[in-house]
Amino acid sequence: MSATFTKSMARNVFYGGGLFFFLLFIALTFDTMQALPKRDNSQNITPAVAHGKKLWEVNNCIGCHTLLGEGAYFAPELGNVYPRRGPDFIKAWIKGQPTGAPGRRQMPQFNLSDADIDDVIAFLKYASEINTNKWPPNIEG
Amino acid sequence: MQTTNMISVKESSLEKIEYQNLPGDFALWIFIFAEMLVFGVLFIAYAFSRAQNVALFNDSQLTLNRGFGAINTVILITSSYFVVRGVAAIKKDLTHQCAYWLSGALVLGSVFVGIKMVEFYEKFNAGISMSTNNFYMFYLSLTFFHLMHVLMGMVILATIIARTRRGAYSAKQHTGVETGASFWHMVDFLWIILFPLVYVIR
Amino acid sequence: MKYKSQAVAKLYFIAAIALFLGQIIFGLIMGLQYVVGDFLFPAIPFNVARMVHTNLLIVWLLFGFMGASYYLIPEETETELFSPKLAIITFWVFLAAGVLTILGYLLVPYAALAKMTGNDLLNTMGREFLEQPLPTKVGIVLVALSWLFNITMTMLKGRKTAISLVLTLGMLGLAVFFLFSFYDPVNLVKDKFYWWWVVHLWVEGVWELILGAMLAFVLIKVTGVDREVVEKWLYVIITMTLVTGIIGTGHHYYWIGAPAYWQWWGSIFSALEPIPFFMMTVFAFNMVNKRRREHPNKAATLWALGTSVMAFLGAGLWGFLHTLAPINYYAHGTQLTAAHGHLAFYGAYALVVLTMISYAMPILRGRAANPERAQIMEMWAFWLMTVSMFFITLFLTGAGIVQIWLQRLSSTPMSFMAVQDQISIFYWAREGAGIVFLIGLTLYIRSFFVKGESKAFE
Repeated sequence: MSATFTKSMARNVFYGGGLFFFLLFIALTFDTMQALPKRDNSQNITPAVAHGKKLWEVNNCIGCHTLLGEGAYFAPELGNVYPRRGPDFIKAWIKGQPTGAPGRRQMPQFNLSDADIDDVIAFLKYASEINTNKWPPNIEG
Repeated sequence: MQTTNMISVKESSLEKIEYQNLPGDFALWIFIFAEMLVFGVLFIAYAFSRAQNVALFNDSQLTLNRGFGAINTVILITSSYFVVRGVAAIKKDLTHQCAYWLSGALVLGSVFVGIKMVEFYEKFNAGISMSTNNFYMFYLSLTFFHLMHVLMGMVILATIIARTRRGAYSAKQHTGVETGASFWHMVDFLWIILFPLVYVIR
Repeated sequence: MKYKSQAVAKLYFIAAIALFLGQIIFGLIMGLQYVVGDFLFPAIPFNVARMVHTNLLIVWLLFGFMGASYYLIPEETETELFSPKLAIITFWVFLAAGVLTILGYLLVPYAALAKMTGNDLLNTMGREFLEQPLPTKVGIVLVALSWLFNITMTMLKGRKTAISLVLTLGMLGLAVFFLFSFYDPVNLVKDKFYWWWVVHLWVEGVWELILGAMLAFVLIKVTGVDREVVEKWLYVIITMTLVTGIIGTGHHYYWIGAPAYWQWWGSIFSALEPIPFFMMTVFAFNMVNKRRREHPNKAATLWALGTSVMAFLGAGLWGFLHTLAPINYYAHGTQLTAAHGHLAFYGAYALVVLTMISYAMPILRGRAANPERAQIMEMWAFWLMTVSMFFITLFLTGAGIVQIWLQRLSSTPMSFMAVQDQISIFYWAREGAGIVFLIGLTLYIRSFFVKGESKAFE
């Protein structure tokens, strides 16, 4: 009984433990996918929302903003910008960039058409209606 | 353990001290302590969450099938007894008896899994999921997490049975059997806490 | 150098350091933009600088991992690399892809880059850290597969040690989980859910296997401690990593639309995530204290110990700080996240690659260790970079706490931008610490060119 704490035992625990928790993770993922339709607001995904998401992506909005708290921390949270500011403000804001105010953070002009901006807003509205367990804590994001 | 290495000399002497008290492999004990920690935190979280909403927990608890839970408790305790007999057998070099006792435990383990499946099936049919409420979240999480441990324990038992049959263990060399037995007892022990906590205590 | 083919590692290490320098320069640009908002606008808007900063980090770490594995695998397996030529081709392909991608970010508007590179065929771009154009993503997969293939083939014909097995497993996981970067559904919740399968399961999962293997390798070399002991602990530590880290992914699922139970699962398991890092610290110091020989490369030992401590602080402690759901509710998406991100990446991954480079580079240049003077300069660089990164983290933590207070806890919450003005002092301090970091890095690079009497092999 000399080699009581052997390397091969540690290896078996590693493989067994790793596999065990990965399987558990898969099971939880499976349950999450079952539970999502009630929470993820996917019933409101329209072609406009889909196009808006694509515009959100190809303009790298996440490079400055957060969306549901994820992204860069340079510019305001946009997961709840729809209820915070409303569609008209958002549209005017996107069109009016950059402000050019000296020394202030600048948002680029993305040259989006009115229809494009409406789609981005549709996407932000959809995102704001996802059940996020009441996050963010208040309207300021 | 013949080694010139300072650290391994020191470590192995440390392990020897531990070994006089703990049967089975030390690595598995690290694992078992970690498991206990996780389950301990889960149990505390359950108690904490229950304290915040006692009425909901009590109402939901009534919908659980206590009969199944009680039967499963008896099954697991019996299986643990079989495992004890298995270890005792290998210590006397009774390889065949050891394999029989462990196989008995394995069969009981699969009965446990079967009953658990029926129980889960009932709940899912009733439209209950982890998102139903906090009680069911804990009930399903804890019992499912435990069920995975039972399955893991069965894999370990099956491996040990196969190795026993091949004559890998003897009265002198039976660390593997004790290690597997320790894991199985832990699974049993966790259920003995889990069953009253989730099914019975109000 | 015991095996000729180990020489390919040198290319990888040089590229890693060069890209590291680029990463820091862009970090400083961003840091300044935090306080002088229109700095370099519109030439380099913040989002572009950030993309370059984070993508360079990922790429230089990958170069580091690859270089490290091409160095250590021949030595571990006791055989020449399966194909040094493939390793060299892979290097140039990856470097070209990396440089082209960065130039694309800098020279072309991102939307135009997306159009040019076939994002309309399969949209994968525009998500944090996964901004790479489709061809680059495909390139990363091919490079990872070529790397994996080369290492696996080498291992098959040689000795199979735990270190090389764990390293290969880590690489396999890296390649497999990266495939989720090709999945970008319209459903934002699913998008985010599987995005973490790349990001979290990389940095808090499979990358830690690579980290553990690299650290174990260097510790065996510089301390001379018995391989059996080191490898046994390697297994125990990475077991705890996976046990806590996999379900720990749940700490990203609190507020993105996933079910509420993740708050329990995520909190409980990620609260245990510091344990493997703590074990790693104890383990590294133990090995060095029980060393059986005095390796002439003092700097490498310092880097190795630094890795274990800073990884624990950055990934373990700073992660724990905001991982519990009730705290994360207020901390999520603030500068506190940025603080944790900086120290964790530096402490765990930047440092382990630098550890490996510190150990292997002198040998690749034909000596056991660098001259005394070079080592002293290298150690200065270690302290300057490590201390300044620690201060960056402290300043960002301060910024985060004030931000949470003013924007989220207060009964009269202030708007995001108003709060940013209030915390600009922290950003100035962070930029200052960043400059010290750059000085440290410059010193580090200079240390490679210090001449003197180098230590020969024993």
